[in-house]
Amino acid sequence: MIEHAFLIPLLPLAASFLILFGGPERKDSPLPYAGIAAIGLSLWISLRILFDAWSGALPLPYEADWSWFSFAAELRGRPFIFDMRAGVLIEGATAVMLAVVCLVSLLVQVYSLGYMHGDAKFKRYYAYLSFFTASMLGLVVSNNLLVTFACWELVGVSSYLLIGFWFEKTAPPYAAKKAFITTKLGDLGFFLALLTIFAYGGTFNIVRLRDAVAMGYLPELVLTLIGLGLLAGAMGKSAQWPLFIWLPDAMEGPTPVSALIHAATMVAAGIYLVARCYFIFAASQVAMDAVAWTGLITAFLAGTMALVPYDIKRVLAFSTVSQLGFMMCALGVGGYAAGLFHLTTHAFFKALLFLGAGSVIHAVHTNDMRQMGGLSKRMPVTFMTMTVGSLALAGIPPLAGFFSKDQILEKVFERSPFMFAVLALTACLTAFYTFRMVFLTFRGEERDTERFRHAEESGGVMTVPLVILAVLSVCSGWALEHAHAFARLVGSGPGLLPGAAGEAAHHIDPMVMATGVTGAAFLAIGLAYRLYCTPDLSAALAWKERLSLPFKVLEDRYGFDAFFLGLVDAADRLAGLCRWVDAEVVDRIFVDGWGLLCRIAAELSNLFDALFVDQAVDGCGYISRDVVGANLRWFSLRGRVQEYLLYLAVGVSLFSILR
Amino acid sequence: MTLAHYLFLGSALFIVGIFGALTRRNVIGILMSVELMFNAANINLAAFNRFLAPAGVTGQAVALFIMTVAAAEVVVGLALVLMIYRARDTVYAEDINILRG
Amino acid sequence: MIERLAFYSMAALTLGSAILVVTMRNTVHCALLLGLSLLGVAGVFATLGADFLFASQLLIYVGGIAVLMIFAVMLLGRTADLHLRQVNEAWMAALLVVAITLAGLVRLVKLVAGVTAPSPAAPATRPLGLLMMGDFAVPFELVSLVLLAALLGAVFFSRKEETPPPPATRGPSS
Repeated sequence: MIEHAFLIPLLPLAASFLILFGGPERKDSPLPYAGIAAIGLSLWISLRILFDAWSGALPLPYEADWSWFSFAAELRGRPFIFDMRAGVLIEGATAVMLAVVCLVSLLVQVYSLGYMHGDAKFKRYYAYLSFFTASMLGLVVSNNLLVTFACWELVGVSSYLLIGFWFEKTAPPYAAKKAFITTKLGDLGFFLALLTIFAYGGTFNIVRLRDAVAMGYLPELVLTLIGLGLLAGAMGKSAQWPLFIWLPDAMEGPTPVSALIHAATMVAAGIYLVARCYFIFAASQVAMDAVAWTGLITAFLAGTMALVPYDIKRVLAFSTVSQLGFMMCALGVGGYAAGLFHLTTHAFFKALLFLGAGSVIHAVHTNDMRQMGGLSKRMPVTFMTMTVGSLALAGIPPLAGFFSKDQILEKVFERSPFMFAVLALTACLTAFYTFRMVFLTFRGEERDTERFRHAEESGGVMTVPLVILAVLSVCSGWALEHAHAFARLVGSGPGLLPGAAGEAAHHIDPMVMATGVTGAAFLAIGLAYRLYCTPDLSAALAWKERLSLPFKVLEDRYGFDAFFLGLVDAADRLAGLCRWVDAEVVDRIFVDGWGLLCRIAAELSNLFDALFVDQAVDGCGYISRDVVGANLRWFSLRGRVQEYLLYLAVGVSLFSILR
Repeated sequence: MTLAHYLFLGSALFIVGIFGALTRRNVIGILMSVELMFNAANINLAAFNRFLAPAGVTGQAVALFIMTVAAAEVVVGLALVLMIYRARDTVYAEDINILRG
Repeated sequence: MIERLAFYSMAALTLGSAILVVTMRNTVHCALLLGLSLLGVAGVFATLGADFLFASQLLIYVGGIAVLMIFAVMLLGRTADLHLRQVNEAWMAALLVVAITLAGLVRLVKLVAGVTAPSPAAPATRPLGLLMMGDFAVPFELVSLVLLAALLGAVFFSRKEETPPPPATRGPSS
């Protein structure tokens, strides 16, 4: 089965092309089922690989590659053929990630059958989804960083296409552009990191690169630079501070897309990249610290920002950013397994939450939670599954989120109590805003009677994925944590620098910490219940009145959007200034001035030509025609050949007597 | 007999030819004078061959070529004269002044 | 002695006839005397021992060119010409120029005074033939081309202008 690993990304790719070109766009087009079948097959292969690896039947890492292209090169005067190979590299993390991506992708595609039913671009939607899945899987399995980068960009393209899927509206295209350009900012770092890798490592192959790093071929400064470049790429793709601004806007896309791309998989690509290249970060303390602090800042800022919006998807989006920050922070402090564990569980319950939100939106046709309320009566399945997801997100035992978040906090505490404090606070915030969302949506009185009356539970294709994800959200944490199975599977990551995490600086009893954090989370949930689980929102609004300034700051997202807009504006002004300088100074002085100089020179040359050269030419003509010619004409006046002959003879005679 | 005798004979014949070419009014006369000059040159060539390079016959060969070319020249020349006579009804060189400036 | 006699007699014949050629009034006489002069040149060739040249001179010049001249003279000649001067007004200038040139040439000829023949003359016909077919093959062929061109040129120049045939009358339009 493992030898078919290369098929995992290729099947959805083929499916996407089949869907796109296979037939006309019809409401009842059968082509989407091809996409579902392809991803189902990929899921099957992935699960087989995962279970083989789990049971130990399959030794990891597994690598297989094929020649892609080769070129002649020369290094220090020695020519050689560089053979660029591309293939698959399956490690523990890869196997898990493959299964997660395939599973969530399959569930989302099934769910979309209901959610997107009747959409005018139904077939195209599935083509995009399959294409995204293919790119994402390619990113995950590739053993060649160049291919990874290509897939990384393809994922970005898919994201762009899917965010802007309803391009006939105003906001989605804008959001798509924002997402694309913002992530490009990070991709620049990734690209520079790739160049540096090739320049110093001479290969894009991850295994060989790892060997090169292990042998110490790359100086630490270079490793730091590469690490920061990769981190920049991860910042863009995984919506880390300060490039997280695109993710909330990306919610303009269809909700299943948000669940798949902007919650479960694509945004995890950055985390996955850092994990995949962990050996680089592990070799550079600076890069590790950068990762940790980026994650910490992101987690806290996004956690606070999630407190205020009334758009249900925005809340989830900020929550996603915050949780990605958790993972990043975990990786940064050496919690390789913890970060990936959280990535896995988060994929399940965040996809669940998004799909549940999609179900709600599908029912009430609005994103605004103020117009919902009391929906638990109309949509029991959605309510139950979303509650499970929320409990998991809030980290309530024994659900999935508890285990993974617990591991992260443990690791972070070992590193620094301050970071732990911030993350623990964020965890409480998580519990608060999650249940704020749940209470606003499902509890209390119906605030919009019209919408309430039309709301009804979604169909089976939408609820079944919800139930499956809910089960996973409940079980996955416990199952994976059991006997440290997950840590055994993914390993503890490559060897870290001594002092980074090898020896824990601080120790805390895991039980005490877990109890404390869980208790705080329960308190936060209670607060949320107190404020939002009321018939009207008066209590919450009163708090908002009292804390208008912080609310304002949070609603403005700490001004990051304004900051980036200002940046764009400043760049625009700078460009305008440059243009003005170019047009008014450079063109006027240099171009026009040079032209004027040339013209003056040309005029002078022309004058000289007319005064001297032409006169000289005319003079030559005058002398030869009117002076010499007129006088010589006498000789040939009569046209007698014999006279000419006589002149010739005179010449001959002169020659004959002259010596 | 010495080389000088022959060369002197050639020179004299050549001079006579020049004189004829300069003074004859009749175009046919001029052609005859030109023939005399050719013959002067041929005498010189044959004499040089005889006195300076008796081993080979190259001088005589060149003389033969000159004879051939002279024959051609005479043929063309006479044809031209015939044409001119037909066109202008004269054979006198001073009447053929189409080169008058 | 006999050699000397032959040379001087042939030289006298040649020069005398040549001078008459350029001075006589009657063009027919001129042409006949030209033949005589060319015959003298042939004799000179004979004194030089150039047998093939001697024969060629007789055949080409005396037998060909001189006869051609006589024909031309007879074709173009008029009786009125007999009463006209055949020498133009520049004859004194020409005489002066010619005298100066002769002086120069004689001065040149004196440079080689006293050169005698190193060996008796040998028959030249066979070596000439070998030379023509050997080293001089290309000039030989070129000369044949020149002769052909001259022949064609002569025919072209001397032919009568042919008047184009009258346009055919148009038949009845059926």
